[in-house]
Amino acid sequence: MTASRVPVGRAPNRLGTGPAGGSGERRYAVLVGSVGLAVLALVGWQLSSLLVFVIPEPLATLRTLASNLGSADYLFDVRVTFQNALLAFVLGALLGGAAGLVLGLSRWARVVFEPLVVALNGMPKIVLYPVLLPIFHLSGSKVVMGLLFAVFPILINVAIGVRELPPVYRKLARSVNASRWQTLVHIILPAIRRPLLTGVRLSISLAVVGVVLSEFFATRRGLGRVVLQAYSGGDYRNMMATILLLVSVSFVLSLLLWRLERRVR
Amino acid sequence: MTVGQHEHAEPVTRPALAPSRRPGRRGRLRSDGSRSALATVALLVAFGLVWELGSVAALWSPDVLPAPSTVLGALHTLAGDPRFWADAGRTGAEVLASIVVGSVAGLLAGIGFWKAPLVGRIFEPYLVSFYAVPLVLFYPVMIVLVGLGTPSVVILASVMAAIPMALNTWVGLAGVPPVYLKLSRSIGCSRWQELVRVALPSAAPFVLAGLRLAVVYALIGCIAMEFTTAQAGLGYRIRYLYDAFETTPMYAYILVVLVVSILLTVLLAACERVVMSGRSRS
Repeated sequence: MTASRVPVGRAPNRLGTGPAGGSGERRYAVLVGSVGLAVLALVGWQLSSLLVFVIPEPLATLRTLASNLGSADYLFDVRVTFQNALLAFVLGALLGGAAGLVLGLSRWARVVFEPLVVALNGMPKIVLYPVLLPIFHLSGSKVVMGLLFAVFPILINVAIGVRELPPVYRKLARSVNASRWQTLVHIILPAIRRPLLTGVRLSISLAVVGVVLSEFFATRRGLGRVVLQAYSGGDYRNMMATILLLVSVSFVLSLLLWRLERRVR
Repeated sequence: MTVGQHEHAEPVTRPALAPSRRPGRRGRLRSDGSRSALATVALLVAFGLVWELGSVAALWSPDVLPAPSTVLGALHTLAGDPRFWADAGRTGAEVLASIVVGSVAGLLAGIGFWKAPLVGRIFEPYLVSFYAVPLVLFYPVMIVLVGLGTPSVVILASVMAAIPMALNTWVGLAGVPPVYLKLSRSIGCSRWQELVRVALPSAAPFVLAGLRLAVVYALIGCIAMEFTTAQAGLGYRIRYLYDAFETTPMYAYILVVLVVSILLTVLLAACERVVMSGRSRS
């Protein structure tokens, strides 16, 4: 295949959201390539650990991770971080979904609030953490920070999805006398499932990031604290292992959601 | 317009204020725009008033949340403080470097993925999963590798900026109508001309949206990383002042960061609109 013919001929929306394009053979090549890329990164890590003294080897890091996961103390930190991230995501999704619906359905709400939503989304929200601390205390602040991170992708994607629904959908709902609830559950939600899934995918990893960044700053327990303590104590193996755990969890989650998103038509 | 076809290809891609692309409704939109601006100003003023009145009524301690008038006063002192300008200069240089490196790298990668879609598809899962912000988690690794300082921040923030740029450029170029490229080939354009004169201008809305995201993520990344650990910079100073219990200057710094980010967002949205409206008229 010549390089220039392939992409142009393909429907543009297949990119990123369409089903893994092309023949089975091509899909296989992409899979092999992606896995190969990960292996390459691993080889690079191994090589740099041999060259640079402070970087722990991949295998040693994995061993540390395994032994960490066997310790009750570490597991407690794992639970704290992921429970908080889950809570932040659930609250953020509910809040963002509701606000996104309002913003998508009501022209009035859009005119009044849209510029603020756009501006708030572009803000480095982490600087608000010291503001949150006296209000929500150490335990609640990181959930609120995670929520602030998680709320916007869902809000914006739902708002755009709802706004771009063909008007005939809502006319149909009215013509069959659907209640508001029925319209939401049977018409709007199925119609916006793709932008909704995109929002969910981005929100989940952002919730984790928000919680961990907060834990970097100040907290009692949690993986962010483990990372920063390991860093300042020079325990790079532990630091690497914990970052690896955090990154792989959010990577696997968003990869699975991304694949689901592409299958949904 | 072709843009409409891949609206959800990259979710946060498109300007949130989309309707400016329907030329027939321009008059109504202009009034919507001014109403939006008015409402936003009113909301901000109301927020400031509640904050000020609450502080005056001592609903909360000034050690926790000082009154906006106090913070504005501190802002005035800040303007004459060389330490503030040193912090602002450092953060500004970091953000600027990340924007430049990130958007150029992202643009080149996006063009590369367009020319060699197989390579693009191989990288795609990683780009999508590490979409910008989660990369901050690698910051401690970067400090160990490169050392504490500007380079470690700029490297990661550049990657954060490059990802949306690459994905958007790719989506935009893949959406160029094939007939454009056929035409350019039939009149004997070179590959360079085809890219620069035909493909990129046609993909411009996506490239611009990518650039906007690159700027936003470069700023968010730099500040977040400074906030985690650094030796200077606006993010670092907020943390430092928090630890030193200097609440009022801390709020002044926070206000500066928020206002700068809002101004940046507004400016970029305006630029995008100017370019877009020029297109729909032609």
